[in-house]
Amino acid sequence: MLTIGLTHYLILAAFMFCCGLYVMTIKRNAVGILIGVELILNAASLNLVAFSRYKTGLLDGQIVALFVIVLAAAEAAIAIAIFVNYYNNLATIDVDRGDSLNG
Amino acid sequence: MLVAGVAVPLVSFLLLALFGARLGKPASGWVATAAIATSCVLATIVLYQWHFAGVRPEPHVFTWANLGTIPLKVGVNLDSLTVIMFFMVTFIATWIHVFSIGYMAGHSDEVDGESKYHRFFAYLGLFCFSMLGLVIASSLLFLFIFWELVGLCSYLLIGYYFDKKSASNAAMKAFITNRVGDFGFIIGLGMVVLFLGDLTLDGAAKALRVQYAENGTLFAHSFLGLSLATWMGMLLFCGAIGKSAQFPLHVWLPDAMEGPTPVSALIHAATMVAAGVYLVARIFVLLTPEAQTFIAIIGCITLALAALIAIVQTDIKRVLAYSTISQLGYMILGMGLGAWIGALFHLLTHAFFKALMFLGSGQVIEGCHHEQDMRKMGGLRHKMPVTCWTFFIGVLAIAGAGIPMTQIGLGGFFSKDEILAVGWHRAYGQGEVDAAHEMEHAAAAMPGPWAQAQGAGHGAVTASDTPAGHGHEAAAGEHGEGHKVTPAWPAHRPGHWLLFLVPVVIAYVTPFYMMRAWWLTFMGKPRDEHVYHHAHESKLMYVPLIVLAVGTLFSSYFLFRPMVAEAVSEIGLQQALVASYDGGHHAEAGLAIDHDTHKYLSMIVGGAFVVGFLVAIAIYWNGLGLAERLARTFQPVHTLLVRKFYFDELYGAAFVGGVLVIKRLLYAFDKYIVDGIVNLSAAVTERLSRFAGNVLDARGVDGAVNGVGKLALELGGVVRTPQDGRIRNYILFALCGAGVVLLVVVRAWAS
Repeated sequence: MLTIGLTHYLILAAFMFCCGLYVMTIKRNAVGILIGVELILNAASLNLVAFSRYKTGLLDGQIVALFVIVLAAAEAAIAIAIFVNYYNNLATIDVDRGDSLNG
Repeated sequence: MLVAGVAVPLVSFLLLALFGARLGKPASGWVATAAIATSCVLATIVLYQWHFAGVRPEPHVFTWANLGTIPLKVGVNLDSLTVIMFFMVTFIATWIHVFSIGYMAGHSDEVDGESKYHRFFAYLGLFCFSMLGLVIASSLLFLFIFWELVGLCSYLLIGYYFDKKSASNAAMKAFITNRVGDFGFIIGLGMVVLFLGDLTLDGAAKALRVQYAENGTLFAHSFLGLSLATWMGMLLFCGAIGKSAQFPLHVWLPDAMEGPTPVSALIHAATMVAAGVYLVARIFVLLTPEAQTFIAIIGCITLALAALIAIVQTDIKRVLAYSTISQLGYMILGMGLGAWIGALFHLLTHAFFKALMFLGSGQVIEGCHHEQDMRKMGGLRHKMPVTCWTFFIGVLAIAGAGIPMTQIGLGGFFSKDEILAVGWHRAYGQGEVDAAHEMEHAAAAMPGPWAQAQGAGHGAVTASDTPAGHGHEAAAGEHGEGHKVTPAWPAHRPGHWLLFLVPVVIAYVTPFYMMRAWWLTFMGKPRDEHVYHHAHESKLMYVPLIVLAVGTLFSSYFLFRPMVAEAVSEIGLQQALVASYDGGHHAEAGLAIDHDTHKYLSMIVGGAFVVGFLVAIAIYWNGLGLAERLARTFQPVHTLLVRKFYFDELYGAAFVGGVLVIKRLLYAFDKYIVDGIVNLSAAVTERLSRFAGNVLDARGVDGAVNGVGKLALELGGVVRTPQDGRIRNYILFALCGAGVVLLVVVRAWAS
């Protein structure tokens, strides 16, 4: 039976990070980009918790992860508020259409 | 109490200045009158206590400020002279205030629709305040401050009718002429501060004696052949030359008659002009013999010039003005000769009769609808009996009427005689009068000239103890033991005969011109029906006349002279640098002046008024006919006198003309040189700016600015290319950056 160790967590976190990055890069929908950002943040949180569990044995990693979750929630709220305004102005949430500042 | 007396007119001034316009026409006049009357009552009380009850309040002195190491002391000076002067000023001022109410009532005084009636009384209040302050000031500094204040009031009141060109010119003339004198005065004050270090009169006198004893700076150094001490005295006297209208600064006083007549009476006859004499009396202790001689000469010139000019004046106020100058000349001469008592005595009597005559002339002018030309008057005795006879009393007094060889006479009789008596002694002293008597005088003249305080050793006392035959050297030697003695003021001065003779001659001229004025105005036949028809008297105005006439008749010899004589010992004139000639003697001998000297003088001068009167009456008996014939006969002399010895013209050419020439020079300088420089610089500036605008600015500055802008624009174009607003591009850039960082970190880690 294979024991699950630190390496597995790190691999999972790297995979999640790459997924987030990919989503952020190719999605034109603003909400999709937000989901990509959440994936990256969660990957980072997973890394922190894993290192905390396997390396130090203390709880600092978990605490920082909690902070990240709270901040992610706040960030999502602001981002969605921005999207609503964006939609009000342009009748879409396609981020490629927001190019009116581009001379 | 006297301080309160000083303050009351100030309060009146402030009241009238602030609320005068609301008080209206007669009310503000009565406020001022009430104020000065209060001062007068206070002065009377003090006078009574002082003279009859012998009360001597403690003098009050405190330090006002420190000028470096020199304390500026402020205080009230109280001696008999102060008290009597204070009384004289308040008394005359009170009655002149009353007169003014009547006088000003008939005047249109609207300027720009606003009455300035209250201003007149406000100024009078300010004047009374400053004059009284001047009288009681114990330090030269404060004397100077009040001195300037009275000058200001004089200016304001001469220029009261400032909407009249001649009045405002006269005011300026008075002010500027006084400045010339005050300039000397302030230099003198500076010397007092510098060399004596004390501005109080007592302190300065003491310091001066010390300086003399030690041959200090003031005596060791000289300038143009005169010691610094002499210069100091002469410079201080300059103030008196200006204020008392002495030659050569006498020109302002006749013009000052442009002011309302009560002002002429109060300021330009009775009080302010006498301040100059009062100043000399106060600084007498600081004068050296040379300075005194200077003063005497100035006084002598003045009295002669003014009296001669007065003969031909036709304006009633100008006759009085010149006679004032002449009488002031007598006082100054008296001071210079050392007739301290005589001069002040004359000041007091003169104040009364001259105020009386000025008010009389005011009455005449007012009654005749502002006609001041005596040639158009005549016969006014029928219309103005009170004015006529009170004026006559004034004429008698100034002429020195009295019965020779007796004690009966008016003020001027005694006071002028006293000055002349001293002049006689100066001139002829030893030869003429019997030896023993003269001895007394000689010694009295210098009760230890330059002597230090000798306690009660008054000159006269010492003199009577001095055995006859030793002469004044004995007296001088006795006092001068232990230090250098200069026979400072020898009684016998041969060169002084002019200083005696001129006043005596003028003593004959004085009654002549005064009688002429009186006769032309009141006697004879009316020469102008129109003027005569209008003439009238008003009650508010002749009551003061009567009061002053009574004062003139009775006050002088019983009150004034003893008080002044008393002041001599209080001030310590005996210890002064130069003792007053009659000082010691008369302080002891009291009324004993009319001995031999007086007998001679009575014969020479006592009858002068009769002669003068008779000549005047003879000439003007039948109106102006004879006078005009005489004027034609002596054409050059007459013209010279009418032109007032061409002083105005001379000053006009020398000073006013000089200023005009300088003005023209400055104008030319301004026009051609200053303007040239300005224009040149303007042209240069214009060229420069054109160059700068077209070349530097357009090409250089604008080019630089535009270039920077263009550069920024192009840079921006380059830089903004990646900022295309596409998020995935941004992420790509971030990823590349992160990749580079990762690469660097991994490489660093590996090695």
